[in-house]
Parts: sequence; C-alpha cells; structure tokens
Amino acid sequence: MMKCKPLLLAVALALSGCAATEGTKPLSVDNSPAFQLPAYETLTLDNGLTLYLMQQKEVPLITVNAVVRAGAVNDQLPGISAMTAESLLLGAGGKSKRAIEDKVDFLGASLNVKAGKEGSYVSSKFMAKDTEQMLPLFADVLRRPDFDAAEFAKLKQREIGGLIQAKDSPRAVVGNYFAELVYGDHPYGNASGGNSDSIAALELSQVKGFYREFYQPGNTAIAVVGDFDVAEMKSKLSAAFADWQNHAKPQTVELKQALPAPTKARVLLVDKPDATETTFVIGGVGVTNNNPDAVGLTVVNTILGGRFTSWLNDELRVNAGLTYGARSGFVSFSESGLFQMSTFTKTETTEAAIDLALKTYGRLWQQGIDQATLDSAKAYVKGQFPPDFETSGQLAGLLTDMYLNGFDNSYINDFEKKVDSLTLAESQRLVNTYFPKDGLQFVLIGNAAKIAPLAAKYGEVTQISIKDVGFGG
Amino acid sequence: MKRTLSALTLAMGLALAPAISQATTAADVQSFTLENGMKIMVLEDSSIPNANMYLFWKVGSRNEAPGITGISHFFEHMMFNGSKKFGPKMFDRTMEAAGGANNAYTTENLTVYTDWFPAAGLETIFDLEADRIANLDIDPKMVESERGVVTSERSTGLENSNIQVLMQQLKGIAFRAHPYSWSVIGHESDIAAWTQQDLVQYHKTYYAPNNAVVVIAGDVKLAEVKALANKYFAPIPAQAPPRDVKTVEPEQQGERRTFVHKPSASSPSVMMGYHVPATSHADYYALDLLAGILSAGNSSRLYQSMVDSELALEADTYLPMSFDPNLFYLYAVGAPGVAADKLEQALIAQTNRIAAEGVTEQELEKAKNIKLMNFYQSMETINGKADTIGTYELFFGSFDKLFNAPEAYNKVTVADIQRVAQTYLKRANRSVAVLSANEEMDK
Repeated sequence: MMKCKPLLLAVALALSGCAATEGTKPLSVDNSPAFQLPAYETLTLDNGLTLYLMQQKEVPLITVNAVVRAGAVNDQLPGISAMTAESLLLGAGGKSKRAIEDKVDFLGASLNVKAGKEGSYVSSKFMAKDTEQMLPLFADVLRRPDFDAAEFAKLKQREIGGLIQAKDSPRAVVGNYFAELVYGDHPYGNASGGNSDSIAALELSQVKGFYREFYQPGNTAIAVVGDFDVAEMKSKLSAAFADWQNHAKPQTVELKQALPAPTKARVLLVDKPDATETTFVIGGVGVTNNNPDAVGLTVVNTILGGRFTSWLNDELRVNAGLTYGARSGFVSFSESGLFQMSTFTKTETTEAAIDLALKTYGRLWQQGIDQATLDSAKAYVKGQFPPDFETSGQLAGLLTDMYLNGFDNSYINDFEKKVDSLTLAESQRLVNTYFPKDGLQFVLIGNAAKIAPLAAKYGEVTQISIKDVGFGG
Repeated sequence: MKRTLSALTLAMGLALAPAISQATTAADVQSFTLENGMKIMVLEDSSIPNANMYLFWKVGSRNEAPGITGISHFFEHMMFNGSKKFGPKMFDRTMEAAGGANNAYTTENLTVYTDWFPAAGLETIFDLEADRIANLDIDPKMVESERGVVTSERSTGLENSNIQVLMQQLKGIAFRAHPYSWSVIGHESDIAAWTQQDLVQYHKTYYAPNNAVVVIAGDVKLAEVKALANKYFAPIPAQAPPRDVKTVEPEQQGERRTFVHKPSASSPSVMMGYHVPATSHADYYALDLLAGILSAGNSSRLYQSMVDSELALEADTYLPMSFDPNLFYLYAVGAPGVAADKLEQALIAQTNRIAAEGVTEQELEKAKNIKLMNFYQSMETINGKADTIGTYELFFGSFDKLFNAPEAYNKVTVADIQRVAQTYLKRANRSVAVLSANEEMDK
C-alpha cells in the first residue's frame, strides 16, 4: 500500500495521483549543471536503417531497441499492428517460439515486443557477455519471423482472452474509451490491441502483409545502449542488418485530416453494474509531440495535475478526501494529442468529485498561476528529469523516440533552459492556447443505474456496457 | 565518474560476467550508527546529479492487532500531514519546491519512505524528515480527511485488481493466529474507527530512531551526510524498543478453502498459499529459485503448462520477503471458458511434479541467471541501489549479507529444490482462494 502509487504482487496501477502549492520557498537552490544527454553516435546503413550507439558502462548490460514506423494508426484491420508485433516472437529464423524463449530465459535476458499508436517496438536487454547469442536472435525476430500458423492461432486466443480480461479493471481500459470518444473514426481513435471480434477475424496472411509493408530497414531505427566497444558493435550490427532489403515504400496514412474539434460536451457512460466506484476521465484535444511549447506545457500541467501537490490532487484527495489520487496529462502524437484529467471515487461521491475536478480545472483561467507556484513547478520538473534517463533501457527508448518523433538532442540539452525561461505571462498564454476549455469530453465507468442521472448534467450521454466488444466506437 | 558494481555481483556469487575491472566491495557501502540507535548507510554515486533517501521503519501490519488493522499504512499517509516546523501540506510543498519528489509504501513487515531529489537539496530533505520523526502533529481534521483517502485506496484496489481481492481472502484463511492474517490496508471498519490516542501511541512507539534504517545513495559525500545526520537526526531521542511479535502461526493440519463471488469477473482466478519459513531461514534461497523455475519467463513451467496450453491467461508465483514465516503464493487467471477447478488442478500438478521428479540442472542454472540479471538491473539506478542495500540490511540482518548471498544461491542444488517443494508445497499446508462470476452451488 503506497502513499500514491499502489504496488502489490505485480500490479502497478496507472492513475496514481502524486501531485497545491502557493507560498512555498525552496530551502536550497540546485546549483548543479544542467543535465546533458550522454554522447552517442548515429549512422545510417546503405539500406536506410538508422543506428544509434551509446556507451554506458555502469553495469555489464546492453539494451537493444528497434522501432518500426507503424502502429495502430496504420490498422486497416483493428489490432493488426499489435498482432504483427506479437507474431515476431512466435518463431523466427527457423527457431521455434519455444526455442527462442528457452534461449532468452536461460541467459536471464528479455525480449519483448509492443505496438503503440505510431510505432512498433522490439526490445531486448541482456548481459554484455551474451551479445554474440542475443544480437543474432534479435535480428532473426525482427527480420525473419516464421509466422507459424499453429502458434498464431494460439496467440489469437490469448489476445482475445486478454482483451476481455482487461475490462475487469476499469483503470486499464478507460484511456481506450477516451481516445475513441474524442477521435471517433480518425486513426488516432484506434485502440492498439484492436478488440476481441477483430482479433478473432484476423488471418495470418493479413499479418504477413502488414509485416512486409512496414518492417523494412528504411522504416526502422535501432538503438543500442550499454557496455560495449563502439567499433565492435558497429561491425556486429552491420553484419546483422546490412543485407536487409527494402521493397515497396510503405503506405502513409493521412493523419492531418478530419482531426476532431469537439464543441459539444459529450459523456460516454460505461456500465459496470457491480462497480463500487466510478473511474472517470475528462478532457479533450491536446498538442502534437513536436509542439514548440511542450516543455512549458509540462510545467503548467505539473501545477494542474502532474505531482502530489498539484491543484487536482490537493483538492480532490488532500482537501476533500474523495479519492486516492487525481492527475492530469497530455498524451501526444505526431499530428494531434489528448489532454486528460483522471481520477476515481466511490459511486456515492461521483458528482462531487466531477464537480470539484471541473471547478479546480477552471482555476487555470479564473485565478491563474502565481509566481511561487510556478517557481516550485519549475524546480520540480528540473529535479525529476535526470532519473528519467538513467538506465540503458530508458536511454535506448529516448533514442528510438527521437527517430520516431523527429526531435533531437536539444530536447534533453535545452530542457532546463526552456524550463527556466518560462514566465507567468507565458504560462497564461499556454493555458489560453492549449488547454481545452469548452466542449469537454467525459468517460465514466461505473454503476450506470446509480450515476446515469447525474451524467446528463455534463453533456450528451451515450451509454454502453463494459461487456460490449471494443471501446464504444 | 560512474561507479561499477561488478564486485557486488561477484560477491553475489552468481557472476558469469568476464572482464570485471573496477571492483566494488562491502567497503563501498559506508555505514555509521547514531547514538540514538539510527543506522545510516551511504553509497556515493555521481552518475546523475541526484540522490535519494530511503527510510525503512520496522513497522508493518504484523505489528497490528484487531481493532487497529491498517494503522501502519494509515500512518504512512499521516506522516505527510504536518509536523511542528512544516505544517499541513508543507512537507510535500517544501520538497517539491526544492525539486524533490517522494513516495512511501507499507508492507506486512515495513513502512518505507522514499525521497528522490537533486543532490543539492540534501539538507532540505534531512530537515523535513527530522521534523516529522521528532515532532509529528496528528491533526484530527487531517485524520478524518485521510480516512476517506485510504478508504478510496482500499476500494480502488479491490475494484481494479482481482489479485488484491484474492490475496486479502487467502491471508484470512491461511493465518488464524498471526497478524499476517489481515491485509496491509486493513479492515474497512478499522479504518473508520481508530482513535487519536491509537495514532499518538503508534508514532511514539514505532517512529523512534532506534527502529529505523536509513540509506542514502547518489551524488553525495559521506562527510556531508554524517554532518547533516548529526545535526538533524542525532537529537531525536531513542524510545523503548517496540514489543516483539510473539505469535507463532500453528501448523496447518489440512487444506483450507475460500470463495469470492464477483459478477463482473470475465474468467475465474485462483490463488493458493503454502506456509514457508521467514526470509532469514536457510531455505529462502531454494524457495526463491523454485519460484523462478515455476514462473520466470515464457520457458517457465507454469507458462508452458498453463498459458501455452491455453488453460490460463497468466500464471505466476510470489514469495514476499518476510520477518516471520509467511506464504509462497501461486496465482492464475483462467483463459475464457476454463473452469476454476481445472485451473487449480493445473497449478497443483506443477508443484506436485517438482516434488515427485525434481527439476533439471539447466532449469536451476536458468533461475540463477535470471537472478543475476535482476541484480544488475537493480544496480543500474541509484534508486535500485538504495533499495537493495536497505532490503539486505533488514531481511538478512546486515547489508554485508549482500556479499554472502552469492554463496547461498550458488550452493542450492536440484536436490534442494525438490526437497523444499516436498517439504512446503503439500496439500495439508495449502490454502486456496477462488474468485469467479459464477457463484458456487451445493452439489
């Protein structure tokens, strides 16, 4: 049981509230130099594959991350990007799924795949002494998946079961409902895993087609971070990937068109009849991930709902005792993004919690931010930045994000400067420009028999059952 | 310069890694004890310009009694709600304004407070921590509001996690005497009922410097830490040591069962617990490796026999570190359409098979390699280092044990794995909890 982040067995919950703040003076001043990105090399092979190499010698480990520019936005069939990524592990280069797992586990290593909205990832972490075994295996998985039909049939059943089971936890799925509510049929509304019906209908040939279209060296980057000799690693990577061939250019998906601009408040009410609490998200459209004001927005969001003393957590948790945690945040994509405030409260206090969240949100415009709070948030954001880039896994993730999202070292190296330069007037400009004020979108998961009457107060209500397939689209 | 921790690993005795150049030894973890009994350990590491402070308090739900169950965890919350110098809200406000963040967690055995901050904020952290240890102000208004927060924490756990629901029920039947019987969060009625006096007494008893272990890791210097510890922590007076937990759980004489009806559950879940000795017992290492053989990775016995064979969506084990004899947990979530009893039998079949046939050398070596990898990963961050050092100090008696653990793991043989499976994972020692949307019926 934790102050703000529950952790029991392997359960990590996503909506913890760790974030009021007027009149605080730092007792000490941080004089340490700004955090800088460790040195790394970038090279592009003749086939267009981008490679990043960063040496980190603190522990004898290496992380290898590959990112392929393809994700749920490319799903012509819901869930196909995720199923393609998962299929890479079903056998590759003539080695069965079981043989791969035996090897990876015996070395104490990890080998994982994941598909997000705009990128698909293969990631491995292993002991440096095992590079000769793990790097070829990694290349097999990325380049030579065998797409075993029997294993694919079993994967489908596991994924369908997982999608159904995820709904046992409202917190695990509320974000999917929210994205689909805001984006509707736009590709950004596509849930990464698809839904239980779409997965059931998916055929292996379609997955092979998706793989062939998108998994090409010119559409991929690989970051290697850890304890290795750079020259040696370069030649190993070259041996493993230089003969990887491109074929037809992947189709691009139009993401700039038909982006939502909600003007009407809407409520998606997801009925879970045995719920004892209501889990809810309120928000709207946010910003793109290359927005020049992203760092400033991180600071302003820290004040609203990004830390324990944030306005939302202070009001809903500390002052009112309505919830264990309340927070807010931006989720950004290449051409759009979401802004969301999220919390949960017992069924009986649903209305009080929503009203208080909205009232607190309104302070951004009515009361604005004061200097002491801004100073505190700036110190906080800077102080908590370095631990985000401490491990080989975190650094490899940063490098592949740079490739996917098109930002460079200045994101890290100018971070402190950008934070420092944020003024009160500038903060208020960010509030007025980027935080959705009207036409807010609501997802409420709870006992509809008890909360449907109050839901109508906030907008036009659509009611569905949590047992319905998919996320409301 | 970054510090390499390869020697810690060598000492772990699991090390296979060649080319170890820089060595860390027990001497690199520096420790001192204040006159009031507070032990402080320091690991200098300048890899990032940050540091952390971990405060481990030897108090958890095992120190509670019916009527005040959950009070240890409640205290974890109250420690943030105001003290003499830093009034309500000022602990968090002051820390965050100095660039720091914090969290805390409570287990059956411990309450742990964690501060993460830019290294230049070290004195602020000492000032904040010392004030709430020495001069906590338990404001009745804050107590009432915090009851609501903790009630929400309790219910959101049960709403979102069938594992939490099952574990709460399972502990309740597996322990009928020892305080491990109730969940760390406590009974809902107790959360509503404890008194101001209960809280005042609890703080005085357990939040005494002689009941704490402190670890500081990061971009700090020992001399600086010593000076600040002497200034802020040394003046806090020691208290009479808390009373020992004397209750010993009587030996279980046969299988125990419980059932939870949850209409929204998409498929049944099963959790079982077998009584095992405390972490300080010699069998801990074999049990820990047995847990790995059963459930670590997709090549594990539970994944292969249950997930790969389409009986379960997930299957796992859990062996908590523990001051007193506790449970070895097995857990599985059914695949769609798989009945609870089938899931349960599949779990039992795996433990019985190991008891009957043992495991292979290859499996044991794999489990050891996975432990080595986990160790390296915990040593990759200042956070992981502080946590690991503190954990060894508390559960194995001294952080020096980190340098002996090696031998202990390496000594474990396939015969040991089979022996602990036979000794502990047997029917009479088992409790079973089942959660399902379908209510159990009379046959």
